[in-house]
Amino acid sequence: MTFPFVWSRAMAVAKKEVFHILRDPFTLALALGLPVMMVIVYGVAIDFNIENVALAVSDSDQTQTSRRLVDTFDSSHYFLVHHAVSPAAASQDVVAERAKAALIIPPRFEKDLLDGRGGSAQILLDGADSSVVGPVSGYVSGIQTIASKRIGNFSPTPPYELRSRFLFNPELNSRWFVIPGLTVVVMAILSILLTSLTIAREWENGSMELLLSTPVQPLEIIVGKLTPYAALGIIAQAFVYGIARTIFGVPFVGNLAVLALGCGLCLATYLAQGIFISVTARNQQVAMQMAMLSGMLPTNLLSGFIFPVASMPLFFRILTVIFPARWFIAIARGTFLKGSSLLQLGGPFLALTLLCSGMMLAATRRFKRDLEP
Amino acid sequence: MTEAAVEVRDLVVRYGDFTAVDHVTVSVNPGEIFGFLGANGAGKTTTIRVLCGLLTPTSGDVRVGGASFADGERAIKSKVGYMSQKFTLYNDLTVEENLNFIADLRKLDRPTYLKRRQELFDFISFDQSPTSLVQDLSGGIKQQVSLAAALLHDPQIVFLDEPTAGVAPASRDRFWHLIRQLAEKGKTVFVTTHHLDEAEQCGRIALMREGKIIATDSPDGLKKTFFPTPVYEFEPKQPLPYAELGSLQNHEAFAYFEPYGLRFHAALRRPETWDEVRPQFENKFNITSIKPSLEDVFIRAVENGL
Repeated sequence: MTFPFVWSRAMAVAKKEVFHILRDPFTLALALGLPVMMVIVYGVAIDFNIENVALAVSDSDQTQTSRRLVDTFDSSHYFLVHHAVSPAAASQDVVAERAKAALIIPPRFEKDLLDGRGGSAQILLDGADSSVVGPVSGYVSGIQTIASKRIGNFSPTPPYELRSRFLFNPELNSRWFVIPGLTVVVMAILSILLTSLTIAREWENGSMELLLSTPVQPLEIIVGKLTPYAALGIIAQAFVYGIARTIFGVPFVGNLAVLALGCGLCLATYLAQGIFISVTARNQQVAMQMAMLSGMLPTNLLSGFIFPVASMPLFFRILTVIFPARWFIAIARGTFLKGSSLLQLGGPFLALTLLCSGMMLAATRRFKRDLEP
Repeated sequence: MTEAAVEVRDLVVRYGDFTAVDHVTVSVNPGEIFGFLGANGAGKTTTIRVLCGLLTPTSGDVRVGGASFADGERAIKSKVGYMSQKFTLYNDLTVEENLNFIADLRKLDRPTYLKRRQELFDFISFDQSPTSLVQDLSGGIKQQVSLAAALLHDPQIVFLDEPTAGVAPASRDRFWHLIRQLAEKGKTVFVTTHHLDEAEQCGRIALMREGKIIATDSPDGLKKTFFPTPVYEFEPKQPLPYAELGSLQNHEAFAYFEPYGLRFHAALRRPETWDEVRPQFENKFNITSIKPSLEDVFIRAVENGL
């Protein structure tokens, strides 16, 4: 004999859950404070653009040409130049971390150039800090091009010139890149963590027995439990979106409905994941750890939020496929910066839909098996 | 003869290889206070969970208030009230919010619910504000509110799984007073408890061991069954060395010799020889003839495994 799903019961559960949230300062603080904190940390404090790299310069040539080379580094806002007395002192500056890089110009630099032998100068980079090496060596080759033009009299003009133009984010502003992805991190923390705690809490204090001794059905419990957290998740999303657009001026060129759809799918997947954890753990401590491990960690590290998926080792690149964050970040960046359409984002959307339905199915089945007598 | 409130025949519950409830048969009439007594893990809670519709039996017939598992476990759930051994109200909600929530889940209409709630507040003599948080109530009051929550839909059958665990003795007495009142109103009350003085107040008791019911009878009936011969209380005139206790417990004269507080309760292997045996103990003990307690029954039946 089957019993129909009753909305009023699901809503009774939802109402009770709202009381829990309102009476628990931790939940409220997490729900409202976390998005703000994350946006501040990622948007203001962490700047992925490398600027003002300390550069130790040892100019043993002391000619007009060498000074012009140093000047080119100095006038780009990427480097903060200070002079070292000798090549050894310059490299010592790098070792002692007074500089991230050193430029060493040998004597006869100008003379070699004039003689047509081609001048050479040396750049030392602090390889211990790999986050600096990549961008800085990029700057160096850029500056080299500019410098050879300025010292152009002495060197043959290259027959062609490469000019780069960055599409979608012309200033290569890392905030534009990071903040759209931030939505998913906020969502992961709120939805997975809070939902995973909510059902575990019922098991822990024995109130699940009370719920089960009434005619309420598992699906009604799930729907009732999820509704307030889904609402919280959506509010937090809107919040991050608002901050991104107004305070950080991140452009949004895509279709808002597409972003919202992706957001909803990702949220649903995370909520289901939270429920699954909650049912499996039955204990708030364990649930919290599982939420951290299976939710927040991969969302931060294996989603492309900070480390690009494309540059991961093959194993991890394949592993990222199972994390909704990876797909949602693609959707968020696509809609925010590129204005991609639903069709262009077909892959990520398909993947999210599959993950979402899979997770929902797993959670409901697990829950039913545990709860139904 | 009226129809039994709860009728169980050959109930079996297995978890994998483990048989938690092993062919239990029991029939309980309306208005009875029926106790389940047994060690931890004897199958009391499992049996009660089946009878509340929380657990599907592996096999056996179960009829609770006329409903069976064939009607769906929710048919059973609507007939019974259940108060589990863990405290089950929400501490961070008020008394009122807790009861509202349960009323919503049971789909009680508002006027019925409010009337019922007032009746129950009167019943448990609840004199605090319904808007007080549950966590601010004392243990005894919490327990009574819990009972009210289980009774909200006016079930004819109530299951109380160790309702007085961790409650002060005065509150326990009050709680049992409520239980007796319920039975007088014709409700069937199932109780499990570890307090044997409480079990004395049951109309009938089922003694459970390792998933089986080994006896079902009134407290007096159980005492007669397990102690058909007279029982004596031995009060030591001086504290008894531990070694001596061992030799007494193994003494051939006694079929049963167990500590009872600072005293000892004993039953004889051959009662007709009592007059011969008695003198050798009288120099160390004051001996009186007593009625056995349920604790004696419990020790003999459940722990000694007679």
